[in-house]
Amino acid sequence: MTAHWFWFALVIAVVVWYSTITLWVAIKGALDIREMVGRLDEEQSRD
Amino acid sequence: MPHFSWTIDGSIIGLYLLVTMAAGVWLRKRVRRIEDFLVAGREMNLHLGIASLAATEFGVITCMYAAQGGYTQGFAGAFPGLCQAVAMLVIGMTGFCVKRLRDSGAMTLPELFEQRFGKLVRWLSGVVIVMGGLLNMGVFLKIGGQFLCLVTGMNLAHLTMIMTALLVLVAIYTMLGGMLSVLVTDFLQFVVMSAGLLVVTIMILTQVGWDKLVATVQTHHGAGGFLPLSNPGMGWSFVIMQVLMGFAATLTWQTVISRLLAAKDSQTGRKVFTHTSFFFVCRWMIPGLWGIAALAMIGWKPLDFLTKDDRAALPAAVVQKIETSPIGKPLATLSETELAAMPASVQSTLNDASLNAMPKWLSSFLPIGLMGLLIAAMLAADMSTDASYMLSWGSVIYNDILAPFRRQPWSDTKAILWNRCIIALIGVYLFVFGLWYELQGNVWSYLALTGSIYLSSMSVLLIACCYWSKANNWGALSSILLGALVPVAHLTCEKVPSLMPLVKDITKDHAGIAAFTASALGMIIGSLLKPSTRSVS
Repeated sequence: MTAHWFWFALVIAVVVWYSTITLWVAIKGALDIREMVGRLDEEQSRD
Repeated sequence: MPHFSWTIDGSIIGLYLLVTMAAGVWLRKRVRRIEDFLVAGREMNLHLGIASLAATEFGVITCMYAAQGGYTQGFAGAFPGLCQAVAMLVIGMTGFCVKRLRDSGAMTLPELFEQRFGKLVRWLSGVVIVMGGLLNMGVFLKIGGQFLCLVTGMNLAHLTMIMTALLVLVAIYTMLGGMLSVLVTDFLQFVVMSAGLLVVTIMILTQVGWDKLVATVQTHHGAGGFLPLSNPGMGWSFVIMQVLMGFAATLTWQTVISRLLAAKDSQTGRKVFTHTSFFFVCRWMIPGLWGIAALAMIGWKPLDFLTKDDRAALPAAVVQKIETSPIGKPLATLSETELAAMPASVQSTLNDASLNAMPKWLSSFLPIGLMGLLIAAMLAADMSTDASYMLSWGSVIYNDILAPFRRQPWSDTKAILWNRCIIALIGVYLFVFGLWYELQGNVWSYLALTGSIYLSSMSVLLIACCYWSKANNWGALSSILLGALVPVAHLTCEKVPSLMPLVKDITKDHAGIAAFTASALGMIIGSLLKPSTRSVS
């Protein structure tokens, strides 16, 4: 029975954590791309 | 009947493909140096690293074999995910090996080995890494195509066409933009993939229900469906192999460490590992749930995958044995005579029944619209994985296997051109291998065994390189040869009829553990045997 609860808790943790990380990465990752491309463009114009 | 609408679902998929291709091609002009092409100029930040690592390590094949694990082994089938998550968390937090690897400035693992063990070890490591990686990746396309055919209700005869289209799209943006394109498309693919995975999972939990999922596992698998050590198909050898694989893959799997090597610094690389670690539980748990749901809703009916003619041709006694066979092993109770009388294509279809159960069930479970989201999510998962894998193995071929042929450093233009050609050749190999190779048994076991061709020796070499002062090139060469010999011998024996009896009682887990043991012994004995006056310090 303990094993049932372990897997139940794990499934809930997976859904909550995955939803949170997806939202967080979607917002922050877009900013990361902008910054990375900006730096590459800066290097290119310097050369 | 599959719930697939070309108008609604097709539009969702078309929009996803259009945006991905545009983003992938958009970055091609920013690739000027070989470092831009192979490690994105080492400009990768934390969030992009998380998205890229997660998207790369979740392909359609991941979804298929993890669902097969849930279908045939219940919740215990998700155990490898726990091992991988713990391994990645521990390595990220402690910096074990990975800090020294990133600080070395190497672009690939063999490049680091050259600093300690010499040029021959670098070249041989490159060969072993590429051999294990390409054998591992060889089955991706076919299984990805199988999934798409099954969920859309398309005829499996269209498999070749789907495989070709997928491969061409991925190859175009990978060849043009290298790691820069891969990182940006990975980000988009992570968002689409995650949305699809979460929506389908929540729908399963609400529509099928947790109690029904638990009852199904209890009925079909008993205690072994919840505890790996109580599962007759798992046991200690499975657990030990998963722990070894989890640590070895985090330390040396080229597609994983390429994120570490593309990070701005070792601190960022380690953060990518710690923040992404729990995703490895998700990547096993979510498809595992889908597999359990498929078992709950359609049961174990391998004969349903045969055509009417094929089924009618089977003797009644054989039909009865297959219907009452253990889940995932439809041919286990047949005699040798009965097996010999069965056409190879029928055997193959029956063996794939546990692999194809989940997509077959989803095709009738999901409504129109959600089906489009699922297929877009799976295309995203597959394209991100294929792109990263092509680039990663290509980078080892260029950086390490071709190293002896570069008397003088190549110009960036020439180096990038060679990498693009190598990626194209890997694409051709994938296509040919995917059509030709017939998988025997469980997909995850095949991937674990082909991976262990190099995971065993490369992880031993990396640990020795970083932490054992007596390690030398004799030990490294012995470790590589012994680590590769065991899995290659096992795979060969499985395929050659006259040698099959030799490996009848040796599972893939046993072979994998033997590979790690042989590799470690090779490193220790080889290093100690070398006269100290000639050792490389």
